[in-house]
Amino acid sequence: MDFISPEGLRLDGRRPFELRQLHAEIGVLDNADGSATFEMGNTKVIAVVYGPREVQNRSQQQLDHALVRCEYSMATFSTGDRRRRGKGDRRGTELSLVIRQTMEAAILTNLLPRSQIDIFVQVLQADGGTRACCINAAALALADAGIPMRDLVASCSAGYLNSTPLLDLNYLEDSGGGPDLTVALFSKLDKVTLLQMDAKVPLDVFEKVMNLASEGAKAVTQFLREILMENTKKLAFAKEPLKV
Amino acid sequence: MLQSKAYVKKTRHGRVLKVVREHYLRDDIACGTITCTACDNSKACLSASPAPIIVFDTNVVLRQIDLLENSAISNVVVLSVVLEEVKNKDLSVYNRLRTICSNPARNFFVFSNENHRDTYIKGLAGESPNDRNDRAIRVASKWYHEHLGPASKVVLVTNDAENKRKALEEGIDAQTVEDFVRKLGQAELLDLLVGAGTEDAQTTADADDNRPSKRKVIYPEHKLMSEITSGLHKGIYHQGKLRVNRYNGFEATVSTESLGQEILIHGRIDMNRGFDGDVVAVELLPQEQWQENSLEKIVEDVDEDESEEPVGLVPGSAEQLPELIETGPAARPRGRVIGIIKRNWRQYCGSLEPVENTSSAGGKVNALFVSADRRLPKIRIQTRQLENLSNKRIIVSVDSWERTMRYPSGHYVSTIGDIGDRATESEVILFENDINNKPFSQQVLDCLPPLPWSLPAEELQNPNRRDLRQVRVFSVDPPGCKDIDDALHCTLRPDGNYEVGVHIADVTNFVLPDTALDHEACQRGTSVYLVERRIDMLPKPLTEDICSLRADVERLSFSVIWEMTPEAEIISAQFTKSIIKSCAAMSYAEAQARMDDSRLSDPLTVDLRNMNRLAKIMRQRRIDRGALTLASPEVKFEIDSETHDPLDVGMYQIREANQMIEEFMLAANVSVAEKIVEHFSQFSMLRRHPVPSPKMLEPLLLTAAAVGVDLDISTSKALADSLDRAVGGDPYFNKLIRILATRCMTQALYFSSGDCTPPEFHHYGLASPIYTHFTSPIRRYADVIVHRLLAAALGLSKVPGALREKTMLTSVADNLNLRHRNAQMASRASVELHTLIFFKNRPTDTEARIVRIKSNGLIVFVPKFGIEGPVYLTGKKDKKDESDWIVNEQSQTTESRDGKYRFKVLDKLVVHIEVVEPQPNRPKLQLTLVDQANECMSIK
Amino acid sequence: MSANEYRTPGEVLGWASEYVAGPGTYVWHEKVYASVVGLLRLTPAATDVEDQRPTIEVTREKERGAVPEPGTVVTAKITKLFPRQAAASIVCVGPRAVRDKFTGIIRQQDVRATEIDKVDMHTSFRPGDIVRAEVISLGDSRAYYLSTAKNELGVVSATSDAGAAMVPVSWQEMQCPITGQREPRKVAKVI
Repeated sequence: MDFISPEGLRLDGRRPFELRQLHAEIGVLDNADGSATFEMGNTKVIAVVYGPREVQNRSQQQLDHALVRCEYSMATFSTGDRRRRGKGDRRGTELSLVIRQTMEAAILTNLLPRSQIDIFVQVLQADGGTRACCINAAALALADAGIPMRDLVASCSAGYLNSTPLLDLNYLEDSGGGPDLTVALFSKLDKVTLLQMDAKVPLDVFEKVMNLASEGAKAVTQFLREILMENTKKLAFAKEPLKV
Repeated sequence: MLQSKAYVKKTRHGRVLKVVREHYLRDDIACGTITCTACDNSKACLSASPAPIIVFDTNVVLRQIDLLENSAISNVVVLSVVLEEVKNKDLSVYNRLRTICSNPARNFFVFSNENHRDTYIKGLAGESPNDRNDRAIRVASKWYHEHLGPASKVVLVTNDAENKRKALEEGIDAQTVEDFVRKLGQAELLDLLVGAGTEDAQTTADADDNRPSKRKVIYPEHKLMSEITSGLHKGIYHQGKLRVNRYNGFEATVSTESLGQEILIHGRIDMNRGFDGDVVAVELLPQEQWQENSLEKIVEDVDEDESEEPVGLVPGSAEQLPELIETGPAARPRGRVIGIIKRNWRQYCGSLEPVENTSSAGGKVNALFVSADRRLPKIRIQTRQLENLSNKRIIVSVDSWERTMRYPSGHYVSTIGDIGDRATESEVILFENDINNKPFSQQVLDCLPPLPWSLPAEELQNPNRRDLRQVRVFSVDPPGCKDIDDALHCTLRPDGNYEVGVHIADVTNFVLPDTALDHEACQRGTSVYLVERRIDMLPKPLTEDICSLRADVERLSFSVIWEMTPEAEIISAQFTKSIIKSCAAMSYAEAQARMDDSRLSDPLTVDLRNMNRLAKIMRQRRIDRGALTLASPEVKFEIDSETHDPLDVGMYQIREANQMIEEFMLAANVSVAEKIVEHFSQFSMLRRHPVPSPKMLEPLLLTAAAVGVDLDISTSKALADSLDRAVGGDPYFNKLIRILATRCMTQALYFSSGDCTPPEFHHYGLASPIYTHFTSPIRRYADVIVHRLLAAALGLSKVPGALREKTMLTSVADNLNLRHRNAQMASRASVELHTLIFFKNRPTDTEARIVRIKSNGLIVFVPKFGIEGPVYLTGKKDKKDESDWIVNEQSQTTESRDGKYRFKVLDKLVVHIEVVEPQPNRPKLQLTLVDQANECMSIK
Repeated sequence: MSANEYRTPGEVLGWASEYVAGPGTYVWHEKVYASVVGLLRLTPAATDVEDQRPTIEVTREKERGAVPEPGTVVTAKITKLFPRQAAASIVCVGPRAVRDKFTGIIRQQDVRATEIDKVDMHTSFRPGDIVRAEVISLGDSRAYYLSTAKNELGVVSATSDAGAAMVPVSWQEMQCPITGQREPRKVAKVI
């Protein structure tokens, strides 16, 4: 299968180093403390944050830092074939864990002892790169909830097909069988918090793909900041006293 | 950068799925015109004026790809919508188009109109996809015209009347292909056009029969695709690849997964216009019609009769065996083709059937094309240059096959040369086996190091390269060998053990991954050895000079060095890149003579003798493990150095020296295989030889049983032992049995270790659990890959990127297997060709052995010339009961009615060999019984 | 470091030696970083403390929007009328708009201060009217209880059948400027 035409275009018309179109909305749910949707092309994820709030299960309460919980799910309608996915499937459990660990690293949990932060992430539409998209959505939702964080965490995936590193794989490319790597970064601190890849890849290729994914994640961070700024300005406007 | 989304509906397993894909539109797609200032023209190749820019419609590309391949066509914009459509409709045309596009000399530019902001269009409501694509082509043509300004000329070439009309309305210069080609003013291009004269053909055919509606329908209609799919679904029809019998164009088989059994198809009517290799849908015939004995000759009511087995080389392995159709106890299912799912039409090579009436000189005439491949029907073509073509080998393409036409219609593509000319016939062989013998392109040659090459000083400093120039290294090869890729040394160590080294030309030092040279070599896959010439995988300076381990020059090599006990046990193996200086390049005969000459005791000879001793032990050990000693009936021609005509022919002589070299090469290959698999378990290039299935060995068992030899095929060891025991009355008997055994085996295959489980790595013939090819990188690409892997395993270099992709390596292995097979077929065909030339003026009587007895004759093998073919005992039209011969298939004996002769399988007899030409332009060998000589031999 | 700019988590605000890290910030490797999204503020240190570094903080713009509390005056829109009560949706608490939707109920006895048992809900409000009301209690789980039983509380804006904004003519009536038709309302006396 040719994933890149000899003209250098991918199946969807992008070039190898281009992200898909990003779109985000903050504060989509009123009841939650923080919420956001994040779209990377056709992948759309909603993340909802509750907390910091009282720990529900006393036995889990931590005296020196906050308890972060995460639940990942996929809407039945998120893929073409309607399939009910149980909460307990391995992929879901693994992703919940990955997102929780990534977000836990970002949150200044020591500032919020004896409290609990719940992150719910649901994939509304899946088209590859859900892992990265979930992390980005969760980061926005946490920022919306006003939970103190070390840095904005942003994530992006990259792969290696037809001997070319490709940024931000869509479903078709994701199922192309090549290695696929997801990276999450604190771009201001210049730290990697998540790096996942389940394929054997030689070091030099890995380096290329990794660099590309990092570049992608940095671009996503930039986008997240812009979105947050815009949203904050809107909020500030709404906060202005009503002139009667 | 704009974005829009394309919504596509797609069905899978009958379910309807909505698939949404993103489609990004861009503003940075260049138009590819050199003079354009608005676009990035780094890859531009088109000139806007004075020559017009040509845009081809999809149907034109699909039908007229032969025209596009002609170098007269250039300055073409290939739209991505066209490419996509072509890809969906015909992958082979797509690949050909891509090849043209990638050739910088052709000035074909691919314009991604579907991703360009200004040329992307959305389908309108009620507009069919075809209409939308046609519109997209028009929009893109128009865009080019506007983009390049009024001075430019853009021609849209389309044969779709509707599209042309609309284009003209929109102000685009649209032309039909015929008009377009006519304007080019090159008459011979018109012959390349497909269907240019179909209307004429219609009228001439009509002239024969004045009632066109009553024209005879020869073939049943193909079922509709929808009917076929539902039929396949219900299990009424079966899908499979049509395989026409290589020796009988009227007999074909379709192996289907749904039935799990091969379906036999008899006759052209039942084959219903299917070509060899087509994917067809088959309907089973009622069971009572299955019973027809296929061993009986098929007498068809057709005016051509080719159902004869040819005389040819002895098959070397199961793949080359004539597909003999045996009737088992249960008759095999028979069926007929009811539809063609996928055509496998390619270009075919052959000649025109001579026509008496050539009155219409210069005008268009119909001619029948006869292919060199017997599996094909004749092809009807039209030409304006009949006189030129009548005694030429030509290439044609097939265009269509109507129900009313006995033969498919096609068109002329190109001429190879005069019939009967040896060079032409060799070209034909190469063409038929898809072997690229074009000279290497400049880009490839640019990858070579500057000549004359000598060992660069920095290589001596290279810590990874061991300096073995002081070691007494020598090479042993066939006489006249110029591409010497292996050399050896063998020295006695102070501790009584031997140090044995195998030094292989370090080809990967010059063929770097991902260069044009590498790609070319990968494509070619192997060097091809014809009788009179060699088609190299790598350019000559590399094969014959830089890499060739010639005597007395310093060369780079990749070495495997073992420490061996005098009992030939390997204590340790070392792998290293090295520098060697061979002290002698011997031929097998020379080496053998040295070893045999007891007066000689110089160090080199002693080395040779030591090696030979070790090799014998290793060989014996291998045989004890169960390696098969198989025999190949290879022949060697002595070629006239000036005319290149064969002077003499004889069996290839195998000496001890050959076996010695072979043994060490095998050992090196095994050692390397073990090493690379240890490091790269997922993507090592290995070679395996599958265990032959009992079914494949059946013919061997049948023959053996008939002559009273009992073969045990349970394991390779058992087979090897029972082959050893099979000693008949004369010395040649054992070899004959071995030859028969060899041809039952399948060929060994290259594969990627990630694709098989370790038990499947087994090499049956060599009885080795693991094997690869390492020792001939000059002439085999697999060895180049193995060299790279080994270098990477030693940490000397990185593994090239492409190799690390599993799918990539698998596809490379598949290509190598194909190339390897093609190369072998070509070599055989070349030997056959030379055999024919040899016998042309030398009708000969010689001794032959019967290898099989059939109802209408004997299949005999002529050991001296390595040929095999039928001796017909009954005339073609004779009925079975009227024949003079009584055949017993089970015991494989035959007897003449008058009791004069009595033959058993493997019996000796004398045959007369001569060249006959029953059909023009298809000379062939004919074998006949020599009565007097055989009388005394057969009656005992 | 200029104040009144928006910051997002992870952005460097300055050296820890120059600023005291306030809410919404944290110190890491001698630098002050923002930890929430919001406006950067600098507060000079009080003159009487030893540490004279200004406090730097990032304040979130998104606050738990204004929440009605008993005693506060809210602006609400009448959504439904029942014989004994009117349902309203609170849009502003005091001068600030609410982010979340709160519902309020004005019971019959809370419409006006006098003759509370003779109140007819239909002559007091119409759906769509904008009223000023006081929160009298947190009410039940569904709605706050609101009251307009003061002179300055009641309908402040209403539209007539003709679609024009009506003008108050008395504390019980409003008039349409187009048709001149009068409609009964509990009118607020806007101060």
